[in-house]
Amino acid sequence: MIGNSITTRLIVLLTLSAVVIIGSGMLLDYRLSSEQVLERVQLESQDAVRAAVTDMEHWLDGVEGSTRLLARILQQRDYSHEGLQQMLKDVVENNQDIYGATIALNPSQAGSSRGFAPYYFHRQGILTYANLADEQYQYPEQAWYRESVAAGKPVWVTPYFDAGGGDILMTTYAVPVFRVDGDGQRFLYAVVTADIALAELEAFLRQLRQGDNGFGFLLSRTGIFLGAPDPDYLMHHYADLVSSTEGLERWSAMFKAALHGQIVSQQIPCPQFSGACVLRMSKLESTGWPVGIVYSEKEILAPLRNYQFKTALISLLSLLIMAIAVVVVTRRITRPLEDLARTSGDIARGKLDTPLPRARGSDEVAHLIESFGSMKKDLKTYIADLETAAASRARLEGELGAARAIQMSMLPQGGEAIETTEHYCLWARVRPAKSVGGDLYSFYRAGNSLFFAVGDVSDKGVPAALFMARAISLIQQLAGTGITPALAMAAVNNALESGNDNCMFVTLFLGVLDLENLELHFASAGHTPPSLHRGDSVHSVEQDSGPALGLAPNLDYPDNCLQLQAGDRLAVFTDGIDEAFNADNAMFGIEGFNRALQAHRPCTTASTGAGLLQAVDNFAGDTPQSDDITLLLLDIPAAGARSVNALDKDLQRSVRSFTCGERLAGEVLDWLQALLQKTAGTAEAKGELLVAAEEIVTNIHKYAQLPAAASITVTAESSSELIVLEVSDPGMAFNPLQDSTRSTLGSATAEAEIGGLGIHLITTLTDQQSYRHEDGCNILRVTKLLGS
Amino acid sequence: MELNTTVAIDEETSVARVALDGALNTDTAPDFEQRLQEVIEGGYQLTVLDMKDLDYISSAGLRVIFKAAKQTTSAGRRLAAANRKPHIDKVFEILKALPDMAVFANEQELDDYLDAMQRQVKDN
Repeated sequence: MIGNSITTRLIVLLTLSAVVIIGSGMLLDYRLSSEQVLERVQLESQDAVRAAVTDMEHWLDGVEGSTRLLARILQQRDYSHEGLQQMLKDVVENNQDIYGATIALNPSQAGSSRGFAPYYFHRQGILTYANLADEQYQYPEQAWYRESVAAGKPVWVTPYFDAGGGDILMTTYAVPVFRVDGDGQRFLYAVVTADIALAELEAFLRQLRQGDNGFGFLLSRTGIFLGAPDPDYLMHHYADLVSSTEGLERWSAMFKAALHGQIVSQQIPCPQFSGACVLRMSKLESTGWPVGIVYSEKEILAPLRNYQFKTALISLLSLLIMAIAVVVVTRRITRPLEDLARTSGDIARGKLDTPLPRARGSDEVAHLIESFGSMKKDLKTYIADLETAAASRARLEGELGAARAIQMSMLPQGGEAIETTEHYCLWARVRPAKSVGGDLYSFYRAGNSLFFAVGDVSDKGVPAALFMARAISLIQQLAGTGITPALAMAAVNNALESGNDNCMFVTLFLGVLDLENLELHFASAGHTPPSLHRGDSVHSVEQDSGPALGLAPNLDYPDNCLQLQAGDRLAVFTDGIDEAFNADNAMFGIEGFNRALQAHRPCTTASTGAGLLQAVDNFAGDTPQSDDITLLLLDIPAAGARSVNALDKDLQRSVRSFTCGERLAGEVLDWLQALLQKTAGTAEAKGELLVAAEEIVTNIHKYAQLPAAASITVTAESSSELIVLEVSDPGMAFNPLQDSTRSTLGSATAEAEIGGLGIHLITTLTDQQSYRHEDGCNILRVTKLLGS
Repeated sequence: MELNTTVAIDEETSVARVALDGALNTDTAPDFEQRLQEVIEGGYQLTVLDMKDLDYISSAGLRVIFKAAKQTTSAGRRLAAANRKPHIDKVFEILKALPDMAVFANEQELDDYLDAMQRQVKDN
């Protein structure tokens, strides 16, 4: 799916790369920066703690310093009680850091059994005096007195509630003062103290607040809270705060370590609220009190998290913007490609007029579009040219087809002729090499003369066909005029020579056969000599020939004469036959033709003709026909057959006229059938004659354009061996033997023409056919041998 | 000259048998054409022209058969001739008419073919 569109691919890949690159960069930056942030955070908190601690130290130092100064003074000077009291008052009054202070003389030095211990303190901001030397208080028993005396040096006393004194939670710095008496013995003179209210520590501890829930605390050396976030904790041991055993152990360990002066830091579960907290403890140098802070890591790290969040947001935003930018730019660049792809799809489907997208700029895509555009134009032109060429080729083929039909119709019986009369049987066939050709034949029977000709125009194809048309019309004009072949040849030559700029020529064989005496006069203009099959042998006829027609004017052609006999078979042909080549470039040759002709001796004229052409085809094999082929066979019937005429005398004649109504064919057939029942002959022969008769009559009915009132006459002359039928119609002059369109026989069903069959039947089902035009009537005469 | 036409139809194998009796010439051709046309329009896979009683055929008759053959072939069906008498055969031959039309020389051949068709129908 991703791979389907270049746009999608680009966008996805670029965005992914951007995500990876920017993501990595930002991650790296975050890593580095967060370390810095963490460091800073930690430094800040450390600084804050340190500052607070320092402040506290200062304060405590101050308190210690003042008290020790006072003690030193007392050690060295004597003062009266009033003096001492005054000094004390001054100290307390001028020292806001101190809550209260006392100078407690050793009762033995006080000069009274109760002792001397003035106490000045700031009660609610007002300097107040209290005398500690009363019975209730018993100051020598107090911890501050005893501990310091016992220690022999200044001590910080465990915090306590000074009832009767300051009446507050306090802790006291007690400095014992020793003197040396006259004997050099040390003795206690007094104890000087300074009290600090635990509440005052609060202010310092407030500085130790880290985060909203963090707090600072101060412990005494025995673990009692001197300062705590919650005033209720004061005076309680830290063990009371911690709930779990494990936590207590940790606290104890840290307390001990802090007491020893180590700075310790540990993670603990937060007291009072959920989460992880950090506990840091160290101790105050001056007093040795452990001081610590507890803070929630989460809260401390809030700036870091802030930073994380901001970083993430910025990353996402920039990635988003980058993705959008990638999408927009990519689409802009690849849009022409997409359009082009779509358009080319349309063009491939044949819609050559689809407009191409506009080419912007001069980058590769623009080049592509331009190339496509010119390719499209070229394609259109090419296709248009192809269509024109195909159209003109189709037209040309159509014209050639029409030309072939016209050419064939110029030849008697349309290029395939057979004519059987009592004197002869003539068979002729032209087979052009291309659609149209330059070969021709012609024949014409006029009275007792049979005029026939075979010709071959130089070359083949359309030029030859056009020349052939000229030639054949000239020849056909001369047929039946009684002109001798030699003179006819000369005349045709002159006619063809004029206007023959192309120097086309035609070889021609022209013959006139006298049907009475079988004398054949002929002339040849460069034409292949015909072959004569007489008896058992075939040989080429000797001829005195002249030059081919059409090249030079006023030529003379010699007259040739050949005496034909009954049983002769004359074959006139063009060189398309003897010069037919096979794959080995061998020619069929006149010898080959003569051999084939001889082999066909027993065959009828038609089957001989077909057989000879087949022999040429067999010889040529796959080699295509290279020249037009024409064959004309003229059979003089054997002596026995001619006795047909002799039978004329014994004929029985019946004549009948029929009107050209709807039932013409039926009437004729009925009549003929009745007649035939009385004649001799096989049923088969009679049936065939009936068919022939029906065809003749039907043709007249269909084509002669006779009114229904007109009538035709049918004459039947029969003998024991044959029957002659003559049909006379007064219709327009029409020789069915020559002028009918004949359908091509043997076509498969799809191509078969349904018309033109009748004439075939007429010529094949009867033994002889002839036509004449007399007194305005077409007379068609057919003879049928009724015998076996 | 007359012509009697009988039509027998086998719906199962889609075969129509048209028997001709008499002469098929210019006169009798029109009526025969009509009859044959009706059968063709029935759309049977095979139409057999049984010519065992046909004594006479001319080009008019052939034209009718040609036309019918063209119609059936273009519709993908078949027209066949059976039992042609020798002289009828000859006319077809002379004219080399319909070389691709099926021809059954005798009743046996026709029966064999029809049996085969029936078996095909049964198998389908």
